[in-house]
Amino acid sequence: MVMSFVKSLVYIGRGELQLPDLVPEGTSIATFRMTRSRKKLSISEFERAADKRLPQNQAHSTLDSTLARSLHMSLGSVLAPDTVEKRGLFRRPKNRKAIDIAAFEGGVEQNMQRKAQNYLVDLQTASMIEAATLTSDAEIMLNNTELFAQPQSGEQNQKELPALEPQLSESETPVQRSKISNAMQEEGKLVGRVSSVGTEEGRTRRYSEEELINDREHVDSMTHVSQKTSANQGEDEQGHSQQSEPMEQLSDSEEVAGTTEHHTNAGYSEHLEKKLTKKAESQIIVTPEEGGVAEGSVKHQDSPKAEPEMATSVRARSLSRHSHAFSSFEKSGTKPLKEAVEQADELEDRAAMGELDGSEEESTEDEAETEGQESKEGSMKTPMFVRAAAYSPLPLLSTPRPAKPAAQESPLQPRRAKPVPKSSGTSRKKKREPALASSYIKQIFRHYAKMPVARDAYKIVEKCCEKYFKQLSDDLEAYAHHAGRKTVEIADLELLMRRQGLVTDKMPLHVLIERYLPLEYRKLLIPVAVSGNKVIPSKSACLSGRW
Amino acid sequence: GMRRGAPRGTLRGVLRRHKPQLRLAASGDLLIHLNFLMFLHRLAEEARTNAFENKSKTIKPEHTVAAAKVIKHF
Repeated sequence: MVMSFVKSLVYIGRGELQLPDLVPEGTSIATFRMTRSRKKLSISEFERAADKRLPQNQAHSTLDSTLARSLHMSLGSVLAPDTVEKRGLFRRPKNRKAIDIAAFEGGVEQNMQRKAQNYLVDLQTASMIEAATLTSDAEIMLNNTELFAQPQSGEQNQKELPALEPQLSESETPVQRSKISNAMQEEGKLVGRVSSVGTEEGRTRRYSEEELINDREHVDSMTHVSQKTSANQGEDEQGHSQQSEPMEQLSDSEEVAGTTEHHTNAGYSEHLEKKLTKKAESQIIVTPEEGGVAEGSVKHQDSPKAEPEMATSVRARSLSRHSHAFSSFEKSGTKPLKEAVEQADELEDRAAMGELDGSEEESTEDEAETEGQESKEGSMKTPMFVRAAAYSPLPLLSTPRPAKPAAQESPLQPRRAKPVPKSSGTSRKKKREPALASSYIKQIFRHYAKMPVARDAYKIVEKCCEKYFKQLSDDLEAYAHHAGRKTVEIADLELLMRRQGLVTDKMPLHVLIERYLPLEYRKLLIPVAVSGNKVIPSKSACLSGRW
Repeated sequence: GMRRGAPRGTLRGVLRRHKPQLRLAASGDLLIHLNFLMFLHRLAEEARTNAFENKSKTIKPEHTVAAAKVIKHF
């Protein structure tokens, strides 16, 4: 048994380094019955058996992975990181697809029933986008191919467009991101490019980068088409000189986008196009029931700034705009229409997306602003994706802040905001956030580093300390709770250090205490028995809390 | 050696802020301080090694970041 024990130990030790050697050894050790090696052996044996059946190539890989897995299991890890990641990747698109389609249909119905145009437009655009985004990458690729088949002239025009106006560029960038945005763009473009860009960006970020690439292509083609269609749609609206150009482009692109869109999107886009045409004919009329599309078309001509697609970001703006739009609508056709459309878009986006990137859209209303928005949108790309996934509750107006820093800040802020339970007058005057003095940390770190340390490096050390304390408190709470106590005891701390590998059988705790802590503390921690039945430190000394 | 003593009050305050409902034994904060020192020691050693590998005479932020990723409370 001793031999087997030793062998099993050797097996364990070797397992980490020499995986292939385990194969031959496993069989021999299998005869011994050690609980320790049993786990690994059973798994490895099973794997080996399985591998024999599998082709050689797979066998090797599985064997290695099995061995690794067995080792991992022995160490306590549950899953191989790959499986977890794969599951995560698979899960998301499935769920989203199911939800989006249902939500799309439900949203369409709701839109029809609702009065406000805004909601209709927003939902439609949102659903379109969602439906479009939901499509698998393969579908997107297929959609792209459709676009390519069409008009390469559109692409050429696209190149020309960016040179034209900032609006164009704005609309193009967002469109590129998401295919869905194309459909949406059609609608949105009427209202405002900027808004659409924002929404598109947000949506595309959500789903996949591939979509973004595809969308861009779509957008380019769409912008191109919109130009053509806008001219056809309404000469009346073109009265607004400034916006006519972008509007045309938008309308053209929109129509094109509608045709080239995904099946679901195509149907939707066609519907939208019809609405747009209706609107074009009838002047600027904000009829909620017609839906955002009609408004979009009208607004599109008036102000190509905001697009329903941008809704998510435009939410905040849309609200304000709606009020303005409706009131001012009767007064002046162009401006209120734009606002209304934008607002409608925003609302739709809001409903559909629920995102916070409204800030970007807001700026996109004005042509001049659109440029700014483009830049903002660009910076917001990642953040929107992150926010979309996380549904962070940041305000719409928070705008273009890099998402990562924002995301990082939000989890940190709530913790810091935790109120200290004891708050007397004196303690309030002191620092509200008890944090270890940075100079103190610097001193200790410098002492241990024995090298000159850059100033920026200290910042990182400080961050590490914060994380360390957070984790430490969690661990200690877990240990105390595990022991059924509410107070952290010395035993808990020793357990912590043992788990961290600081305290081992060869390195007991008191050796560490003697090594690191000054004499006064050593006396406090390590009881020393003295003759006369006195133990130092005495309990009274500890309780008095001296030192 | 350490010029100052262990900041016992601050340590308790930090723990309080994270887990207000949690209590700490009498000399517990000293062991926390010990753990903290050892953590900084490991971090500094790892950062020093990284700086040596980069043939740098000072510890730069990137060395510290890499060191922090490795430590992970082994």
